Amino acid sequence: MVSKNVRKELGAPEAVLAGVQRGIIEAASRNPKILAVMSDLGHPAIEWFRQNAPNRMVELGIAEGNASTACGGLASEGYIPTWYTLAFCLGRAYNQIRQCICVDRFNVKIFLASAGYFGAGGISHNYVEDIAAMRALPNMVIVNPADIVEAEKAISVIMDYFGPVYYRLEASPPPARIFENAYEFELGKATVVRDGGDATIVSTGFMVTRSIQAADLLRKEKIDAQAINMSTIKPIDEEIIVKAAKETGAIVTVENHSVVGGLGEAVATVIAENHLAPLSRVGLDDEFSQSGVITNEGIDQLGTHYHLMPEDIAVAVKKTVAKKR
Amino acid sequence: MGHSPELIRKLEDMAVTLRKDCLTEFEGSRAGHVGGTMSIVDLVTVLYFHHLKINPRDPDWPGRDRIILSKAHACEALYAALAEIGFISKEKLPTFYQLGSPLQGHADRWCTPGIEFSGGSLGEGLSHSLGVALAAFMEKTVYEPPSPRYPTYRALPKYRAYCILGDGECQEGQVWEAAMAASTYRLDNLIAIVDYNKYCIDGPVNDVIRMEPFADKWRAFGWWVAEVDGHSIGQLCDILDLAVNLYGDGRPKCIISHTVKGRGVPFWEERHTHSARGPEMEGGLKQAAGLYK
Repeated sequence: MVSKNVRKELGAPEAVLAGVQRGIIEAASRNPKILAVMSDLGHPAIEWFRQNAPNRMVELGIAEGNASTACGGLASEGYIPTWYTLAFCLGRAYNQIRQCICVDRFNVKIFLASAGYFGAGGISHNYVEDIAAMRALPNMVIVNPADIVEAEKAISVIMDYFGPVYYRLEASPPPARIFENAYEFELGKATVVRDGGDATIVSTGFMVTRSIQAADLLRKEKIDAQAINMSTIKPIDEEIIVKAAKETGAIVTVENHSVVGGLGEAVATVIAENHLAPLSRVGLDDEFSQSGVITNEGIDQLGTHYHLMPEDIAVAVKKTVAKKR
Repeated sequence: MGHSPELIRKLEDMAVTLRKDCLTEFEGSRAGHVGGTMSIVDLVTVLYFHHLKINPRDPDWPGRDRIILSKAHACEALYAALAEIGFISKEKLPTFYQLGSPLQGHADRWCTPGIEFSGGSLGEGLSHSLGVALAAFMEKTVYEPPSPRYPTYRALPKYRAYCILGDGECQEGQVWEAAMAASTYRLDNLIAIVDYNKYCIDGPVNDVIRMEPFADKWRAFGWWVAEVDGHSIGQLCDILDLAVNLYGDGRPKCIISHTVKGRGVPFWEERHTHSARGPEMEGGLKQAAGLYK
């Protein structure tokens, strides 16, 4: 059954960053402990902090190891730093995030932008291994919102949650609006965004839009695919995955990330341990991503090159359904 | 300046007690970072039993000064001090390294009352201290009334952050990222103390990677710098007082503390022992048993 407050039709595309900005401003207005920590890449709510709370802005320049560790220091004194930088800097600060944030379960919210395979940056900037790295860290929670509504709603929830959170922001084209404004985000709970009994597509972030488009394509071929939005990647919603495996008997995971260590492996583990069903993973096939031009045409070119378009997802679903006994 | 001979003697006695406590820990674990632990014992003594603002009844008292042990492998010295203050039971000292012990192999904030920072991965403590020192200025500022020395009201920090660094640790680039940021923010409530015991695992620290001119490096990064004999209780007392009294000059403070690795046990001093187990540990413990009766 489709979850509450899911739109029947995909809405117009809207960049999630605007939702993130509204969410942080709303949270920071009611909680004076929330800080903006920057690494020379600005911050989604930089203007609000500048005008309303300049003493709660900390600029630490191009030194991500130092910035992430200092976030731990600020959190140890009861503050909630929201650190914003690019996803590829995660590798630069990985030991620090582990040792100086996760070990002590410090209340730091890490916003990493430009995750995934899109973008003009090329291999260095198109970071496709962030989920794998963050999943391995004890105490880390990973959230990847599917649209602008969820992006905003998730912020107040993660601010009320005590502990480190990785909030994943993709360098994707704006995802379509999937949820109604009344939607409520729940940490650790996935949502069913399309109904279907023949197979289940589990995806996260921008790829939820493409998965819904794939489900629409499949319906024309008389295959009813259920689409699940796994916006909390860790801790993963095991219940919904097991239920989907039992009820639809075929699972396809879709992610804007390498197939190694990402959503696909997380879902595969749940299935392997609870209820076996044929499974395919759609994502970067253990490879880095080249740069692409940021136009609709360029984005589609990249998607086609890496087999990440709705048509590719539909093919994967058909292959997986064929494996059902 | 100048501290009473009685105070100095009292602190020197406490340093001996802490060294004995460290040896108790090593006797329990039969392994440990003996060199870097014994080299900071005098510093730790002066900090905890003379200099720091702490509440012996409450390790989490909000007004306390924060000690961040960046060279967290020397946690044995801190555990000894925390046991003497009473934050942890002295009976726990021999359980060092053991499964379930509050005395973990590297300082652990969640396991041990009085430990501020879970370290072990070198080069990160100064950045954490930076965050802690920044946080002191985030909210309500306390102002000191005008005085002949400072004619205007000046903001006081709620506490100071003291970061104990190793010398070899300063080969980590992140130390200098934090150093740059600290002087940018004019964090004069941040005091870094480098335990310059001259040796790291692979040999003399300046042969491994040249640190000198070390003090000049800190000065170039915008810090006030002083050098002391890290085994002279009197010098340590004086320099820490001075660093605190300079508060208001807008500079973070760096004290380079010249020490001897393994100080107090010649067997380890001669060998510049970093971490010891087996014959290296037993030889030191045997000699120490004779020295610290």
